[in-house]
Amino acid sequence: MGDLKTIRPELLTFSQEQIQVLLPYFYVFAGTVVAVLASVVKSINPKWLVFLISILTCIAGICSAWNFLDQPSVLLFNGMMVVDSYSNFFNIVFLGSALITLLASFRYLDKEKLQYPEYYVLILFSALGMMLMASSLDLIVIFIALELMSLAVYVLVGFRRADRRSNEAAMKYFILGSVASAVFLYGTALLYGSTGHIGMREIGSFAHAHPASVTPIFILGAGFVLFGFLFKVASVPFHMWMPDVYEGAPVPVTGFMTTGLKAAAFATFIRVFISLYGSPISLFLEGHIHNILWVSAVLTMVVGNFVALTQTNLKRMLAYSSIAHSGYLLIGVLSGSRSDLGFTPGVFYIVAYAAMNLGAFVILTLLSGREDSGLNLHDLSGISRRQPWLAFSMSVFLFSMAGIPPTAGFVAKYMLFYSAIQANELVLVLIAVLCSAVSVYYYLRVLVYMYMRDPVGSPPASRVSMWSGLAVAAMVAITLEMGILPAQMLSLAKKVLTQL
Amino acid sequence: MVGFDSNLLSLMVFFPLLWATLGLLIPSQQKAGQSVLKVWALVGSLITFGVSLIVYSSFAPQGMDFQLLESYEWVPSIGIYYSLGIDGISLWLILLTTFLMPIVILSSFQSVETRYRGFYFFLLSLETAILGAFTSLDIFLFYVFWEAMLIPMYFLIGIWGGKDRVYAATKFFLYTLVGSLLMLVAIFYLSYQHQIQFGSYSTLITELYKVQLATGGFTNPQNILFLAFALAFAIKVPLFPLHTWLPDAHVQAPTAGSVILAAVLLKMGGYGFIRFAFPLFPQSVAYFQHIFMILGAIAIVYGACIAIVQPDIKKLVAYSSVSHMGYVVLGLFSLNDIAITGSFYQMLSHGISTGALFLLVGMIYERRHTREISAFGGLTRVMPLFAIAFMIVTFSSIALPGTNGFIGEFLILLGAWKVSPVLTAVSTLGVIFGAVYMLWMFQRVMFGPMKHKENEELKDLTFREFAVLTPLIIAIFVMGICPNFFLEKMEPSIQRFIAKSTAGLVIQKNSVTSYAASTRSE
Repeated sequence: MGDLKTIRPELLTFSQEQIQVLLPYFYVFAGTVVAVLASVVKSINPKWLVFLISILTCIAGICSAWNFLDQPSVLLFNGMMVVDSYSNFFNIVFLGSALITLLASFRYLDKEKLQYPEYYVLILFSALGMMLMASSLDLIVIFIALELMSLAVYVLVGFRRADRRSNEAAMKYFILGSVASAVFLYGTALLYGSTGHIGMREIGSFAHAHPASVTPIFILGAGFVLFGFLFKVASVPFHMWMPDVYEGAPVPVTGFMTTGLKAAAFATFIRVFISLYGSPISLFLEGHIHNILWVSAVLTMVVGNFVALTQTNLKRMLAYSSIAHSGYLLIGVLSGSRSDLGFTPGVFYIVAYAAMNLGAFVILTLLSGREDSGLNLHDLSGISRRQPWLAFSMSVFLFSMAGIPPTAGFVAKYMLFYSAIQANELVLVLIAVLCSAVSVYYYLRVLVYMYMRDPVGSPPASRVSMWSGLAVAAMVAITLEMGILPAQMLSLAKKVLTQL
Repeated sequence: MVGFDSNLLSLMVFFPLLWATLGLLIPSQQKAGQSVLKVWALVGSLITFGVSLIVYSSFAPQGMDFQLLESYEWVPSIGIYYSLGIDGISLWLILLTTFLMPIVILSSFQSVETRYRGFYFFLLSLETAILGAFTSLDIFLFYVFWEAMLIPMYFLIGIWGGKDRVYAATKFFLYTLVGSLLMLVAIFYLSYQHQIQFGSYSTLITELYKVQLATGGFTNPQNILFLAFALAFAIKVPLFPLHTWLPDAHVQAPTAGSVILAAVLLKMGGYGFIRFAFPLFPQSVAYFQHIFMILGAIAIVYGACIAIVQPDIKKLVAYSSVSHMGYVVLGLFSLNDIAITGSFYQMLSHGISTGALFLLVGMIYERRHTREISAFGGLTRVMPLFAIAFMIVTFSSIALPGTNGFIGEFLILLGAWKVSPVLTAVSTLGVIFGAVYMLWMFQRVMFGPMKHKENEELKDLTFREFAVLTPLIIAIFVMGICPNFFLEKMEPSIQRFIAKSTAGLVIQKNSVTSYAASTRSE
């Protein structure tokens, strides 16, 4: 541990290669800073300027991450961070969801009279936090990135300052999120105490080499880290915060939280899982982690789906359905290490879920009235007559969430359950399948309102803005493409996972 | 034309969807646009029928197992192929589908009054899904089409259906989905077994046929998998006691939906048994043979009994479907060539005759906006042509010799007699009840005094309706008089199917072995 005491000069210098792979992060960070500066320019209306800068930042980040998809992994900062194709793959997912959220928000903020440039900046900050989180190898760096991501989102949740629900949601989220972060940090400390390492690969290999170090304290630490993640992905019984937060947050922010944040948590989770829990440290620990995840997955699916059945508010329904999807994803995580397909189905599911959920939330953003009203089921009555394309897109997303072919959701579920069968989780698959049958009911109910009821009230005044239309069309295209021709995405997911 | 020839099946499957998507571009606000749209849909379905005739002519019954093969890698990482092909069994079901689709579209020119674009879009995309399911040789691909079929049907029932359409549509969707999801788990397990036994991923059915599954006892993998598959298909058939979705869906669906549902979608269940459940799990088929035969016999008698007391013509026809499809199950599980051939023929002829019945019911519903039997009476006087058509179809439905229904039911009962005379005797009651409910209904609707004034004004068949019914009536007689024309194309496929499916009988019992041998020597 001597190396911690002095700062060695080689830690502060970068090789050419290291600087290069950091480019996506630089772009996003630079863009964020420029956006901050632009937002205080008083002489012009900063709205367009900041919006465009943020959009361009995301696009630049996506392009450069795309460039490095085939890059062999590069360790950075004394092994605290790694840039490999896995992190770049997820960088694209995060920036993509940030981009879609930005596109959806522009008109929404106008409508809600919330057009402040901070909004865009906060989204960018949060995306940067996600990027760092998915590429960190060190539990402390994960914590810092987690906080960067979460703090920005805490503010975004409470962005409708005049609305009580929004404030309540922000407060709840902040307090509970802090507790979860603290639990995570405590777990990290316990792991550090029992192994003397803070990097997850080192912890794994140390515990592997010294079985005696796997004391109850170590197990408690591992458990706390696990609970921290389970909180972030809102799995039952750590889900209590979620419906209120999701309902109180502005609609596009909810979309961002259900996709970006969840993808980030799962991406990091998979990385931690592979390096920390995946290696056979001790059968005892492995068995316990498996049981915790198993129970949590079942509870998450059952509670998420059954509570969603009773919801009449679309936003709340999608919040519960997103809990249910966390449950499916947990199946992918827990069976990943014991199946032939590995974590590929899980990664595929994350992408598929991000696409369909973002799309659905963009549509919700379009449909919402002042103060996020107008999102009850009966407000959707007869939408298909007035806005046929909107209704069509929404049905694509809903069918995909329900896992009906030919959409991404079906292939994702197919792969996921298949890998669970390979891992001998037959009971879990049966429960999951039955839960997804239940979920079909509440997804169908939305379709019933959209297609089989007569329109009510006056036709909506607002037209679909170009930006949102673009975002929805892109998500529909991805959802259908991944459903009809999944091979490409599957092999990509497989490729990026080999580097872990 | 190489590309065209080698992708003939894909062309046939995806043409309706493509055509329907183009049709969405036609503006349907004005009257002219609506007519264009109708003609567009009709032309599309006729072209598909034309393509299916080319498929028919290029199919050689004595050739390979599966013909017109197309195979492309789809998801290579888990061995999923885009693989299409037909045999003598699927060929006729394809022709049934493409033959009925133009008729259905023509029949809905008047009855559909709103949202034309969506209606024809869903009908044609439904055709794509059905044809896809009948031609898939990969179980994953089959499952995709099988489930995709639900979407257009759901909308057809839910948007253009009757009063309780939402309830019926949701029930239909969920019922079918629950069954298919359990089948999906079975598919996972099966292809995982393939991977264990052969070391490679594959979901091609020809590969999956090779998988050996443990047998013996009730809860062995083979039996469980068979039950999972059978549940999905039995719901679709629908087999007693899983039939409860059917009366709702049939009655609430628009005429076009009912026709397709009864004539084609129910066949999907029978087809599933033939293509998947039987060849994959022959031992389990032998194990459960009697249970399913009993269920089939119950369905026959139960469906017929319930049909007798129905006050609503459409509901009566719906329950008659339960009864008629009971014969199919009875025949299939008799596991001998006579009964299986009969089952197969029954599926085709039920498609024609029940389709025609639903069309006829739709026609009087359009005129009177009611389907209550008691609201009619004495229609023969005002609608002579309609009465003749109705009579022919009624005879076909009660399996009068000379019509299509007779061949199937006769063969099934003949074959089933060899396995279980008792069940056959019970099932024969269904024939009698069938005559009772159909003829009694016909008598109450068509003969007797004209009780209601409204009925005096009813118009006879229009030219369009005449055109709708004529092909079906011709088909009824052709199928009834020269069955060999149909049977010779499917004979080799049925023989192969029997060889695969009765393997379980040979293994199971010695007594049964000698019996199966004697059956085959006949």
